[in-house]
Amino acid sequence: MSGAPDLAGRVADGWSVALTGLAPDARRAGLAAVDDGARTAGRDPREVHRLATIGGPVSADTLEALAGEGFGVLVLATADPDEVRAFAGLVPEVRARVAAARAQAGVRVGTVRSAAVRARRRPGIDYDAIPASLADRAVEPGDAQYGGVRSNYLRGGSPGLVLRPRTTAEVVDALAYVRGQDVPLGVRSGGHGVSGRSTNDGGIVIDLGALNSIEVLDEATRRVRIGPGARWGEVARALHPHGWAITSGDYGGVGVGGLATAGGIGFMAREHGLTIDHVRAVEMVLADGSVVHADETRHPDLFWGVRGAGSALGIVTAFEFEADEVGLLGFAQLTLDASDTAGLLQAYGEVVEAAPRDVTAFLILGPPRRGQPAVARIMATVDSDDPDTIIDRLQPLADIGPLLDQQVVLTPYPGIIALPDPGPHQGQGEPATRSGLVEHITPEFAQAAERFLRSGATYFFQFRSVGGAVADVPPEATAYASRSANFSAVASAAAGAAWTRRGTRWPGTSAGSTGASRPTAVPAGCSTRTRPRRCGGCAR
Amino acid sequence: MTDYGHDLRFGSFITPANAAPQQVVAVTQAAEEAGLDLATFQDHPYQPRFLDTWTLLSYVAARTERIHLSGNVLNLPLRPPAVLARAAASLDLLSGGRFELGLGAGGFWDAIAAMGGRRLSPGQAVDALSEAIDVIRGVWDADNREPLRVHGTYYQVDGAKRGPAPAHPVGIWLGAYKPRMLRLIGRKADGWLPTLAYLDSLRDIADGNAVIDEAAAGAGRDPRAIRRQLNVGGQFRTASSDRLLAGPPEQWAEQLAALALEYGVADFMLASDDPQALAVFGEQVAPAVRELVAAERAR
Ligand SMILES: Cc1cc2nc3c(=O)[nH]c(=O)nc-3n(C[C@H](O)[C@H](O)[C@H](O)COP(=O)(O)OP(=O)(O)OC[C@H]3O[C@@H](n4cnc5c(N)ncnc54)[C@H](O)[C@@H]3O)c2cc1C
Repeated sequence: MSGAPDLAGRVADGWSVALTGLAPDARRAGLAAVDDGARTAGRDPREVHRLATIGGPVSADTLEALAGEGFGVLVLATADPDEVRAFAGLVPEVRARVAAARAQAGVRVGTVRSAAVRARRRPGIDYDAIPASLADRAVEPGDAQYGGVRSNYLRGGSPGLVLRPRTTAEVVDALAYVRGQDVPLGVRSGGHGVSGRSTNDGGIVIDLGALNSIEVLDEATRRVRIGPGARWGEVARALHPHGWAITSGDYGGVGVGGLATAGGIGFMAREHGLTIDHVRAVEMVLADGSVVHADETRHPDLFWGVRGAGSALGIVTAFEFEADEVGLLGFAQLTLDASDTAGLLQAYGEVVEAAPRDVTAFLILGPPRRGQPAVARIMATVDSDDPDTIIDRLQPLADIGPLLDQQVVLTPYPGIIALPDPGPHQGQGEPATRSGLVEHITPEFAQAAERFLRSGATYFFQFRSVGGAVADVPPEATAYASRSANFSAVASAAAGAAWTRRGTRWPGTSAGSTGASRPTAVPAGCSTRTRPRRCGGCAR
Repeated sequence: MTDYGHDLRFGSFITPANAAPQQVVAVTQAAEEAGLDLATFQDHPYQPRFLDTWTLLSYVAARTERIHLSGNVLNLPLRPPAVLARAAASLDLLSGGRFELGLGAGGFWDAIAAMGGRRLSPGQAVDALSEAIDVIRGVWDADNREPLRVHGTYYQVDGAKRGPAPAHPVGIWLGAYKPRMLRLIGRKADGWLPTLAYLDSLRDIADGNAVIDEAAAGAGRDPRAIRRQLNVGGQFRTASSDRLLAGPPEQWAEQLAALALEYGVADFMLASDDPQALAVFGEQVAPAVRELVAAERAR
């Protein structure tokens, strides 16, 4: 805003004035009027930037003097490229002189947030101490961008501060700062975490979304380096032109960071194992701020733990993966009548276990709708581009119950990993989710699952096939121990459902769960409230 | 049933959603890569989920090289015509003659009023659009030394300086369905740009053409000065069908060729944000339509 400096002080973010023909006294009076206007409106005068437009030629002395008066933005009025270059040439010197003068005077450098924003700050966070490298991109509750970063995919959140580092060094800065703040910390990559720990209420979130590069390191060994903030849908699209893919989850919005530190049960699990089984090395920042590289030989214990329990060990800032060669896939969506839920589930279990590894299937049950039969939806991938093989593989799955609808397509991997929904996460509330690993779908388990579903306790009950290549990796090789399971079961419910409380038994698991430590209960690591130590495949 | 003999152009009609701004840019670049001639964007300045279309046009102009760009169509009530004319000329100059001016009278008056715009009746809006075209053409008429004066009911320009002239003759295309608008097109515009889905049947195109042709003749213009355009939607499928634009590319080509030869349509804008569909449209459908139409015209 130019002219009326008092108005700028009261309502604007900056006062812009052309200095040509303006007497020094008038200039200083203007600056004072900005300050007065700001104070009248209950603002901190530092909230208002001062911009000066000057005619050339100028000297470093002039610029330094103007900066000393409070002009933080100095603009040269010219159409002559040489004058622009000369002006730019002065900048480093002017910056250095101003920095030295400020250091001597003890001036804090940074933008002062408005009183309205400061009023919404949360206790326990020293906002003034946010490192300079992170301050500009930090988001706090009063900021306009807050709505876009507060929540994750499934849950609403109200963190007191979201830090958005762009580099490993900035992650180190962020952790150094966070160590001094007595509030909860959440680490977020793609924000699809099921536990909700990637957002919080009144704490700090380190959002790694900007560390999202995808880079091929070596064509011959299919080695790729991927930042935790990349999404699996983007990864699928970036690797596809090379004829490669990394088995991930079923949804392209899920972040690399959360999935590749936990497990990664995807559409090619039985053929290619878990996502963590493709991790060859990580770069991570530990709680003390040290940056370490871990692989089979360097910090092997850390490398063991990061594959399954990474979130308990530090912040991964880059992953190195070995991708697989993947061509066209058969992808089927089948809808079956699940009136005989237990029978269908048991048949599903038998068919999947008997199927060759090129078949991976997910089965989803929802509660029966009024007046309609319960239905099961199966999504199945066949790693083959031969239509006859695909049909051969799918037929047994289509035969496990009355088939209501079917669709089969031949598609490259990106075709089944949808791109993320654009825009910020809109999660709300506190949905509850429990997961567990199941060795076999026994008749007892199937019946318990049917009762559980019919009780209306869950709106989403899914059974994914694992086994196959997942079980080739010895249990002690990674922190994902429950390798012998053939199925991963996940149930979701609205907030507060009684069965989701800690310690509640997974329905009917006495006959088949493989939770390594507590075979008859939900694996401890999968609680939404506890830390995921050795969390066997829980979807976080 | 008229073929106006226009060269055929194929374009895209892309949603300017602001949720993932760069995705819109990427789709526009995909349209260019697919060999399409035009990338066009709807303009609803009162819609908070959309990027401001003018800003988007300026931005994608800098991120593309060959493709022509247009609003489809710009909302006149919220874009004062004298400024719009200079903005259009500027973008045409900056982009090397790649800008076209799709323009509409405005329709969602509650939303326009909520943005501080003036509420007009549909009839008034047509008159306002007519005045706006006079203003715009007057500003572009840079060789004319006389200050521009337009004393309209809705727009007044009183002695404004003229210029700049755009880099190429920028087409003024109007989105229109009703006779008053069609007559305005016949008198003053360079293109008629309706959306197929809003027409009751293909007959509407023939009927609209007749109204435009008559108004053009009445104004001493050649009806061939006005391009007939169409926003289309559809699905690419492996199996052909008897529906319009629901089938394999060959079926699309035959149907679009018929629209060109029998209804005079020369510009086809595909409403799609899917790069794959745009690629099929640009790489398979467009050449096939051109071939069919050229063969038929040569007979
Ligand atoms: C729609 C949907 C579909 C899903 N599909 C699948 C699926 O098919 N298969 C499957 O296995 N899982 C699936 N999941 C679960 C998902 O894999 C996990 O929730 C995963 O943790 C999400 O990763 P994220 O980076 O998006 O999550 P975030 O919420 O960002 O992170 C989740 C947790 O991981 C930890 N973390 C994140 N980044 C890092 C890092 N860089 N270093 C250390 N720890 C970190 C943090 O503790 C964080 O709280 C799905 C979830 C959703 C919501």
